[in-house]
Amino acid sequence: MSEAVERAYVITLTIPDNEAFTALTTLARIGLPVERAVRSDVWIATVDTEHAATLDRTITTIETIYNPNKHRLEVRSDARPRPGEVWITALDETPAITVAGRTVAGVRGIVRRTAWRLLDDRGADVPAAVLERATETFLCNPAFQKAIL
Amino acid sequence: MTARVAVVVFPGTNSEDETQRALAATGVEAEIVHWSRGSAALRAFDAFVLPGGFAYEDRVRAGAVAAHDEVMDAVIDAAQAGKFVIGICNGAQMLLEAGLVPGTGPLRRPTAAFAPNAGGKFLCVHTHVRLAVAPERVPVLAGLAADAVVPAWISHGEGRLAAPEAELDLLERDGHVAFVYCNARGERIVAPNGSARGVAGLTNRDGNVLAIMPHPERDAWTFMHRDGDPDKAAARGNTRAMLAPSGGIRFFQAFAAGLTGANVAR
Repeated sequence: MSEAVERAYVITLTIPDNEAFTALTTLARIGLPVERAVRSDVWIATVDTEHAATLDRTITTIETIYNPNKHRLEVRSDARPRPGEVWITALDETPAITVAGRTVAGVRGIVRRTAWRLLDDRGADVPAAVLERATETFLCNPAFQKAIL
Repeated sequence: MTARVAVVVFPGTNSEDETQRALAATGVEAEIVHWSRGSAALRAFDAFVLPGGFAYEDRVRAGAVAAHDEVMDAVIDAAQAGKFVIGICNGAQMLLEAGLVPGTGPLRRPTAAFAPNAGGKFLCVHTHVRLAVAPERVPVLAGLAADAVVPAWISHGEGRLAAPEAELDLLERDGHVAFVYCNARGERIVAPNGSARGVAGLTNRDGNVLAIMPHPERDAWTFMHRDGDPDKAAARGNTRAMLAPSGGIRFFQAFAAGLTGANVAR
């Protein structure tokens, strides 16, 4: 069996994100010093090494995942949040073997998570303690979700 | 004096009219109150019902944004003062996110969730629920007979109770499981949504707050019953019988009776 690699496709709206704005409003009500919330879909695939480049291209053709007119796509070769990000996923996260209903060669499994970045009034990431508090009080329900910081 | 019940509407709520009608049919004064009126508008009410829908489009998580809304401050204060609060479907999700139900943790720090259904699909199917605690355990529905079976429609994508096993054990042990899924005879069935322990509804420690996922208000008149229902079949050709309250209306009669201390037949 061939080697597999991980790919993370971080997809963020470039048009106004109503959900992120609503989240920001709630975070303000909670009393957290956040000026902007950025939400991204994160698709994490385990893919055969020789098919990774193909998957990178295929993802850009599935409009229900990525639409170049309204999304920004960042391809990462690891599945870890960057500093300042929190990823939310289900505790019972189960990889699918199709990508938005399509069979894609070499894909062994793919999961979808939600990434949040919270920014302060200078456009910088909020302190880790603020992100953690936002996660505990609002962004994650630990009864069925987990937060990856 | 007639009890005043607020049917609290958030942006995205969609079941307020049928909920109000079901409540009004039981003789209570039910008023639809929009979130934009703020928590002050709710202080004068005797009880609260949070109807179904998709408050705030289920953004972030079903019920999560509404649970932090300013208008929920009044609902939380009322619940803590012992007033009756019911949440149906999306309203139930709000109550869990607000920590009012099961109420085993701090406010707005949920210890359980109505998570996405097993299989990941939105479900719209008929079901029955059975009262799983003694009626006196839930004053909010104290008018309901022991083991009462109520018909209702499942209409949700996130109705699967999820919690750590220890929490589920606690919920069962301490009588927080108010309703379980069952058939028309009251026999337990596997929850259509995969809900843990077959739970359809939860209550808090004092039994004055209740969260239920299926919609009894959508099965509260004979014409709303599923095809094949004996009452509905018997009412064919009889408009008056078809428009009569039955089935799920018992849930609301029990709520109204709980407000006045009366009893409702099974």
